[in-house]
Amino acid sequence: MPSLTIDGREVSVADGTMVIQAAETLGIFIPRYCYHPALSIAGNCRICLVEVERIPKLQIACNTPVSEGMVVHTKSAMAEDGRRAVLEFLLANHPLDCPVCDQSGECDLQDYYMNFGLYNPRFREHKVKKQKAVELGPHVMLDQERCILCSRCVRFTDEITKTGEFGIFNRGDRAELGLYPGDVLDNPYSANVVDICPVGALTEKDFRFKARVWYLSSAPTLCNGCSQGCNVDLHYVLDRPHLNDGARVARIKPRYNPDVNQWWLCDEGRYGFEWLDKERLTKVRGPSQRSTDPQTHGPTDSQTQTSWDQALQTISAALAGSDHEQGSPRIGVIASAQLTCEELFLIRQIFRDALGAQVTASVPEEPGSSDDFLIKADKNPNTLGATLLGLAGPDAPAAAQIVDAAIDGNLEALWVFGHDLVELFGEEKVRQLSEKVSLFVYSGTNENPTVPLAHWVLPSAAYVEKDGTFVNCHGRVQRIGRAFGPIGDSREDWRFLLELAGKLGLSFDGSGPEGIFRGLAEHVTAFEGLSYDTIGTQGVALRTESVGL
Amino acid sequence: MTPALDAKANEILLRYEQPKAAMLPLLWLVQENQGYVSAEAEAWVGRMLGVARSHVREAVSFYNMFHTKPVGRRELRVCTSLPCLLRGAGELMDRIRETLKIGPGETTPGGEVLLTEVECLCACEIAPMAQLDERYVGPLEGPSVDSIIRDSLTQPGRPESTPEPEPYLSTDGPVLSTHFKDPGGTWLDDYLTDDGYVAARKVLTSMTPQDVIDEVTSANLRGLGGAGFPAGRKWSFVPKETDKPKYLVVNADEGEPGTFKDRYILERDPHALLEGMLIAAFAIGSHKAYVYIRGEYFRSAKRLQRAIDEATGKGWLGQDIQGTGFDLDVVIHRGAGAYICGEETALLTSLEGGKGFPRLKPPFPAISGLFQCPTIVNNVETLACVPFILRNGAEHFARIGTERQGGTRLFCVCGHVVRPGVYEEPVSITLRELIEKAGGVRDGNRLKAVIPGGISAKILAADEIDVAMDFDSLKAAGTMAGSGGVIVMDETTSMVQALDSAARFFADESCGQCSPCREGTGWVHRILRRIIDGQGSLRDLDELLAIAGDMEGNTICVFADAAAWPVQSYITKFRDEFEEYIRSGRSTEQKETAECPA
Repeated sequence: MPSLTIDGREVSVADGTMVIQAAETLGIFIPRYCYHPALSIAGNCRICLVEVERIPKLQIACNTPVSEGMVVHTKSAMAEDGRRAVLEFLLANHPLDCPVCDQSGECDLQDYYMNFGLYNPRFREHKVKKQKAVELGPHVMLDQERCILCSRCVRFTDEITKTGEFGIFNRGDRAELGLYPGDVLDNPYSANVVDICPVGALTEKDFRFKARVWYLSSAPTLCNGCSQGCNVDLHYVLDRPHLNDGARVARIKPRYNPDVNQWWLCDEGRYGFEWLDKERLTKVRGPSQRSTDPQTHGPTDSQTQTSWDQALQTISAALAGSDHEQGSPRIGVIASAQLTCEELFLIRQIFRDALGAQVTASVPEEPGSSDDFLIKADKNPNTLGATLLGLAGPDAPAAAQIVDAAIDGNLEALWVFGHDLVELFGEEKVRQLSEKVSLFVYSGTNENPTVPLAHWVLPSAAYVEKDGTFVNCHGRVQRIGRAFGPIGDSREDWRFLLELAGKLGLSFDGSGPEGIFRGLAEHVTAFEGLSYDTIGTQGVALRTESVGL
Repeated sequence: MTPALDAKANEILLRYEQPKAAMLPLLWLVQENQGYVSAEAEAWVGRMLGVARSHVREAVSFYNMFHTKPVGRRELRVCTSLPCLLRGAGELMDRIRETLKIGPGETTPGGEVLLTEVECLCACEIAPMAQLDERYVGPLEGPSVDSIIRDSLTQPGRPESTPEPEPYLSTDGPVLSTHFKDPGGTWLDDYLTDDGYVAARKVLTSMTPQDVIDEVTSANLRGLGGAGFPAGRKWSFVPKETDKPKYLVVNADEGEPGTFKDRYILERDPHALLEGMLIAAFAIGSHKAYVYIRGEYFRSAKRLQRAIDEATGKGWLGQDIQGTGFDLDVVIHRGAGAYICGEETALLTSLEGGKGFPRLKPPFPAISGLFQCPTIVNNVETLACVPFILRNGAEHFARIGTERQGGTRLFCVCGHVVRPGVYEEPVSITLRELIEKAGGVRDGNRLKAVIPGGISAKILAADEIDVAMDFDSLKAAGTMAGSGGVIVMDETTSMVQALDSAARFFADESCGQCSPCREGTGWVHRILRRIIDGQGSLRDLDELLAIAGDMEGNTICVFADAAAWPVQSYITKFRDEFEEYIRSGRSTEQKETAECPA
C-alpha cells in the first residue's frame, strides 16, 4: 500500500493503482477522454497530464502507477498549462458545431474547456474535413469531424463485445474513426459506444435531435427488459411537450453497478421503452351493462368508462362473495413477474392467503434471446422475486391450469395482471373463459387483445411510474424508482391492491411500497432484515441459500 | 484467393509466435500477387490471422506502400523530402509531371506507371532520387531524368537505361566500412577470410553473456539509431531469471531524412550485422531475432536474406551453431511505409501486426516488448560495431572515440556539399571537418546552416559547426547527434521553405495516436503553408513557437518533440529571414539560379 501525496493530501492505495484512480479516492477529478476504467489503457488523449515531483515532464495520470512518497500536483501551473495545451489541440480541428450537436450539454470537450481551458483560441487554419452524419447501424450515428480519436469505442468492440467493428484508419490528422466499409454496427450492445464516447462523435440515432439534454430530468431505476436487472437512469421530459415528439421518456442510459451491469446496457433494454408513452391504458373500464349481482352477469360486448372507486367497490364485493370454503378455490389470479416484490406480496397476502385463490406468476413464455454477458432469456425482471414469494417456480400452479379451470367453469373470478392471454392461449380460449367466469379483471399498462375481453380493465402504472423492488436472476434485490407519476387515471398496482385490501377488511401498512416492503421482510425469510435504506441505489445480494442459487 | 496463397500464408505464419504478427507479410504477399490489396484480400488476411477486417483495414490504410485499388504496372516513387528538395527534387517532380502528364497519386492513362510523391527514401546521397519499383536511382539530373521517365514506361523486367548510382562511400574502415567496396556486396566466403565470425566464435566458445555485456559496456558503444543509449547497459536490463523467451529485434527501419547508412551495411556487409546479432543474442539469451527492414528497402531485404541463408547453410545461424549448442533463428520482417516504425516501441507494435503506434512506457521493451516478452531493439549500425569490439577488444574501440562514446560512425553527409556520401569517421570529428571531407559547400557558396543528426535535430547556424559529432558534444551544443544524418544548406536555401518541408514530413508521418502530435503537426504545417503562400503574419511566428512548445514533451514518444525542434530552432536562429518573408510575401534569400525547395 504505497502512500502518496496528491494536491497536498496524503493517500494510501493498493500497489499498481494509477494516479488517476488514486486521485479519485480523494475526490480529485482528473479530466480524461481516452481513459475508461472498463477498457485497456490507451494513453493517447493526454488530457490527464499531471505534474509529478522529480520527473521533469508532465505524466499522464491514467498510466502512472503510484509509488511510495510520490508527490503529484494536478492543479499546478505546469499541469494546468499542459491540459490547456492538449485541449487546444483537441479543439483545433473540432468543428465546434455545438448548436446542432446532440452531445451539447454533456460533452467533455465543452465541460473541460470551461473547467480547464478558457484560453483564447489561436487556430485560424482550415480544418480537416471528414464525414458527418454517418449511419453506423440501427442505433448509432458517427460524426468523424467531432471525433477526438480517443479509441474508447474501438476498445469497446475489441475488448467488451469482441466484435471488432471499429477501426481508426489512416494516420496523422487524417486519421478517422469508422467501420470496415459496408459493415453495420449492430451487435446487441452497440449503443454503449455512444455512452462512452466523450464527445459528439457517436450519438444515438433514436434520440437524434429529440431534445437538448439540459431539458431532461433523470431518475435512477432498473431496466425491466430481462431478469438481469441492469441499473439505468431514465431520462425524461415532462414540461416541454414540443420536445421528444411529446413523449415523456427520452432515453435510457446505463447506470454503473459493478455487481450487475458495470457500465453497460444492451440495445434491447435501452430502446424498449416506447410502450411507456404509447397505447397506454389510461381509464378504468367496467362492463357496459352494470349489474349489482356479478354472479348473474353475462358476457360483455363492450366496456364503458367508470371510476376507480366504483370498480374496486364492485370487484371487492364480488371477490368477497366468492366462496372457497367448499374445497377448491373459486378465484384464479395470474400475476406477473413484471410486478414488484411489494405488489406480488400484496397479491399473495390478499388473494392466496385471505381469499384462498389459486395464484401464479408462472406463465409459459418462449425464452427470449440470451448471451453470456448481460442478456437473459427470461424477459421478466422479477421472476426470482415471484419465486421467493412462492408465486412462481415448481410449487406455483401453472397459468394454463387456471385458464382451464376457468373454462371448465370451476372458477368464479379471474384476475390477470398484465398478461396478454390471447397471445398465450389463443383468442378462443379467452373468449370462452370470459363468458364462463362471472368476474374477469384485467389490470395492466397497455392495450392488447385480451383487454377488450375482460369485464373490468384497471389501468396500471408502468414500472417507471412507481417505487418497488425486483430480484434479479442472481438473487440481487434492487429498487426501481418512480421517475414521474402514473399516466392518465392509471394507478400503481400496489396502490389499488391496498385499496382493494381495505375494502376487503384486510390491513396492511398503507404508507406505500417502503412500508409494504417492511411487511414483506418480516414475512419472507429471504428478505429478512432488509429495508429500502439497506438496499440503497445499488441493491443487495440476497443470501444465496435463501435464493436457492 | 488461391490454395497456393493459402499455403504460402501458412508457411509465413509459422515464422511468428503470434498469428497477427504476419499481418504485413500477408499484405505484402497479396499485393505482390494481385498488384493491390482488395477487399477480398483484406477479408482473407483477417481470416488467416483471426483478426477483424476492420483491423486489417487499419493496417492497410496506415502504411502508405499498400494500394487499395489497381494501379499502374510500375510505380515511380519520387522523394520530395528536404534533402532531395535541396538538390532539386521540386524541379525533378515538375519535369516528371509534365512529361507523364499525371500528378502524384495518378497512373498514366495507358496503365504504365503510378507516380507517387514520397517522404524520405533515405538515399539522400544520390539526391534528387526516386525509386522505380524496387530500384533506387539518382541523382536524377541531366539525362538521367529522361532515362528514368523512359524506364518507368517500359515493361517491368526489360533492361533499364538509368545507371546504378555511384555515390561516395568510405571503404577503409576502421570499423564499419571495410567491406563496402564491392557494390555487389560482401558474402560469406570473403567475410570469413577477413576474420569474419571470429568474434562470434570467441564469444560462443569462451565467454559468458555477462563477459560480453561487460566488454560492450566498456567499449562505450552507444545506440547509433539516434538515441545514443549505451548498448551494453541496455542489454543488461533484460531479466536473467525469466521463463519467457527473449527477443532481439534489429531496427533496420532507416527513415530519418538525411540518413542512409544502414542500407549500406545491409547490402554490402550483411554478415557484419548477422555476426553482431549473434553476439548480442548470446549476451541477452535470445534464440529468436527479427530484423525489421523498411518496406522500400527491397534490395536490402533480399541481400540480408541471402546472407541469412548462407550463414544458416554454414552453421552460423539456426540450431547448435558451430557445435556450441547455441541456437538463433533470424526472421526478416518488412515494413510498409511508415517513418514512425523506426521508434522502437512502434516498431514492436508494427511487428506484432498493428499500426505503428508507439507504446506507453513503462513497461520498457527490455522487460515487456515483443509478444510481451523481454526484448532488445538495436539499430543495424550499433550491432555492426559489435564484432569489431569483440575481435579487437573494447579498449581499441573505445580509444577511437571520445571519453563517453567509443568507435566511429557512418556519417551521412548530404545537401549542398560537393560530394554527398557515407563517411566513416571517429565520433570526435567536428562538423566543420566532416563538411570539408565531403568537399565543402558546393559551387563555392557560403554555408548557411547544417542539420547535424537527421531532420529531427535542431539546426545549427554556419558559425556553430566547430562542434564534435559525438552524442554528448552535440547535446551540449543544443542539438543532437541523432542518426548521423548531416544535411548541409548553403546560402541559397530559404529557411522558410526548408522548415515547411520538414513540417510537411512530420505532418505526413505522425502516427496520429496522441492529440498534441496529431493535431500539432498538421497545424504547424498549415501555418507554414499559409506563410509560403504569402498570407502569413508576424504573429504566426510566435504562435508557431508556442504550438511547438505545447507539443514538446506531452506525448507517448518523442516524435512530437522531433517535430517541434525544427520549428523552434529555424525560427529562433533565422527569425529575420522569416519576418522578411512574411513582410514581402516571398523568399528573399534565393539566388536567381538556385535550385531550391519549390
